[in-house]
Amino acid sequence: MARRLLLPLLLLASSMANAQTSVPDEDGFTHPLRRLEFNPGLDQHEFERASFAALDIYDPWESLNRRMYYFNYRLDQWVMLPAVRGYKYVTPKFVRTGVSNFFSNLGEIPTLFNSLAQLKGERAMNTTARLLFNTILGVGGLWDPASRMGLPHYKEDFGQTLGFYGVPHGPYLVLPALGPSNLRDATGQVADFGVERQVDYFSYAEASGGEFGLTALRLVDLRYTTPLRYGQLNSPFEYEKVRYVYTRARELQIEE
Amino acid sequence: MRTSTRTVTPGTASSPENAPAKTIEIDMARCGDQPLGAACVAARKRGSATTNVSLSSSLTMRMLLCVTALLTVFIVPAQAADISVEQYGYPLSNPFEATIATTPVDLRPAVPADEDIDQADYRLRLRPEREFILPENFWAVTRLTYRLAKQPGPAPLVFIISGTGASYSAGKTEWLKRLFYGAGYHVVQLSSPTSFDFIAAASRYATPGYSPGDAKDLYRVMQAVRAQQHDLPVTSFNLIGYSLGALDAAFVSKLDETRQSFNFRRVLMVNPPVNLYTSIGNLDKLVQTEVEAIDSTTTFYEVIFEKLARYYRQKGTINLDEAMLLDFQQSALRLTDEQMAMLIGSVFRLSAADIAFTSDLINRRGLIVPPKYPIDEGTSLEPFFRRALLCDFDCYITEQLIPMWRAQQDGGSMAQLVQQVSLYALEDYLRTSPKIGVMHNADDIILGAGDLGFLRRTFGDRMTLYPRGGHCGNINYRVNAHDILEFFRG
Repeated sequence: MARRLLLPLLLLASSMANAQTSVPDEDGFTHPLRRLEFNPGLDQHEFERASFAALDIYDPWESLNRRMYYFNYRLDQWVMLPAVRGYKYVTPKFVRTGVSNFFSNLGEIPTLFNSLAQLKGERAMNTTARLLFNTILGVGGLWDPASRMGLPHYKEDFGQTLGFYGVPHGPYLVLPALGPSNLRDATGQVADFGVERQVDYFSYAEASGGEFGLTALRLVDLRYTTPLRYGQLNSPFEYEKVRYVYTRARELQIEE
Repeated sequence: MRTSTRTVTPGTASSPENAPAKTIEIDMARCGDQPLGAACVAARKRGSATTNVSLSSSLTMRMLLCVTALLTVFIVPAQAADISVEQYGYPLSNPFEATIATTPVDLRPAVPADEDIDQADYRLRLRPEREFILPENFWAVTRLTYRLAKQPGPAPLVFIISGTGASYSAGKTEWLKRLFYGAGYHVVQLSSPTSFDFIAAASRYATPGYSPGDAKDLYRVMQAVRAQQHDLPVTSFNLIGYSLGALDAAFVSKLDETRQSFNFRRVLMVNPPVNLYTSIGNLDKLVQTEVEAIDSTTTFYEVIFEKLARYYRQKGTINLDEAMLLDFQQSALRLTDEQMAMLIGSVFRLSAADIAFTSDLINRRGLIVPPKYPIDEGTSLEPFFRRALLCDFDCYITEQLIPMWRAQQDGGSMAQLVQQVSLYALEDYLRTSPKIGVMHNADDIILGAGDLGFLRRTFGDRMTLYPRGGHCGNINYRVNAHDILEFFRG
């Protein structure tokens, strides 16, 4: 999830603006570095300074968090990913898409609630419309006609609402199975879960409370739709990098 | 003469599901590729259209270029296939933008979707002793993972060697896999010898950078892959590498001439460094660009995030699509060339930190981690990360690679090392091997003066030079994709 937000950072530099055409030398080389202005002494330490600052994230439970991180890594490799592979093996694509749409539609409820809580009227109306169209036209949320009608999918959770009202993120936290979080967002997750159960749209909460199968399917779907893989950054410092990206990405989501 | 006949293929519109937007991360930030793919698909669902910025050149300019192209054909002795900007049609004229963003989605060719590829990850136990040398929290990299995509029947196989610090699942490697798989090849994706997993699990001396040594490590990996996949019906072996992986490919091909395990049919180098020291010098220097708007209270990263946040506030929503990128770079918030260079340089510095740390840890050199320091799953690695961040490529070579090379190979000066690890060492071999080809860009940021001249002299008509693309930014452009497949077909 956090990884999704890394994208803009990497993408943002793309464009097709102001080309200063460089004249190629006799080999045809255009010397791209010559168009840059360098620090005259070449002794700038901005990379180091910025990276050090990025490491300053409040993480008093680091030792415990790291152990949990490795626990999750193993859980993912030995339980979650094999489950997703099995799920993909036994279901055709349109079924998996339907399942994802269904749970995504359920997720609109906390989004609606939190949009209202942050006084984001337009977003709340958009989410209400999505909920109605997808539930009625999309047969209980199995299809997603709302996106095709030009209603974008938003995600607002209670962690964002807390952040919106100035609650600091608190200590960094790695949750069992769920991964990177912090005290504020973990609290938010509990609250959102409560909202879902209260509203009990579709008697889903009741059904899943009784039926272990639905909850398991939801977990498998969550893993199926989360593209992150442990070890994907392929760095000995993956823990630190994920911590930074998660924290910054959440700040961006809150500001949005 | 190839110049005059080479035309830009009118691109087939790429289908949204198939067009991987992944390549951005990639090599550059080495973050997950999947999220980008997902975001791309999402973006397209929203109906965004990528703007293909037309090359606004006047008629006279056009004629001038045609004349220049003709002159290149008839006068210049170098026979490398040069392609003019006009013919080429690649829209990004800024090498830094091209390097970061790569090709706009609808200018990429159609390739198979991930789900339509019969692929799996496999692990190799190449250095059993590493299970005892590495601290317990590095259990995941005691075996080397590679990815294999299988065709249903007998087919040619292509090995892909990833670029600096990149793993087998890096975006550009994934992209090449899709391209080759779609063309009917079995594909094996390999991590770079400079990547964390490869250093830990497969590198004999765990000190990458000495190209002949890295090639031996890679060769052992390839042989192990072949042994593990002995049932796979392979009709011929081929090799491709991009960036540093291209340099590795050349050394591996040379090694194969004597060891003959594969007898590669075709070997293609995409954007290789020519003089390794020039390239790392360029990369180290990128973080020395003048970046504005930084003071004691804000850092470079913060400036970038702040720009993003401000952009989002203006727009009211995060809409990740090509139109947004175009829009962002045309807004007042756009990144300068210096900022983009700094961003690229930062990604490479993070790679350098990983290499310096891992190599030091495994060899117990004590430069970053004290040799007897107890490390388990709960140990904070942050102090070591900080120390490793201070080490750029030059520092790694001076402190770790050169001392090892001197001790092992009875090596001498830096100039001698540069000679041995760069393409110069293979000049005669490359000149006389018709199966090896090279593709490069006129505005690649890892090159220095004279490098393209060396390639022209050495490869002759086996070289293709594109006028744009930065460093590997055009590897997923439809013209390049077509040329790559053509090279292997020939």
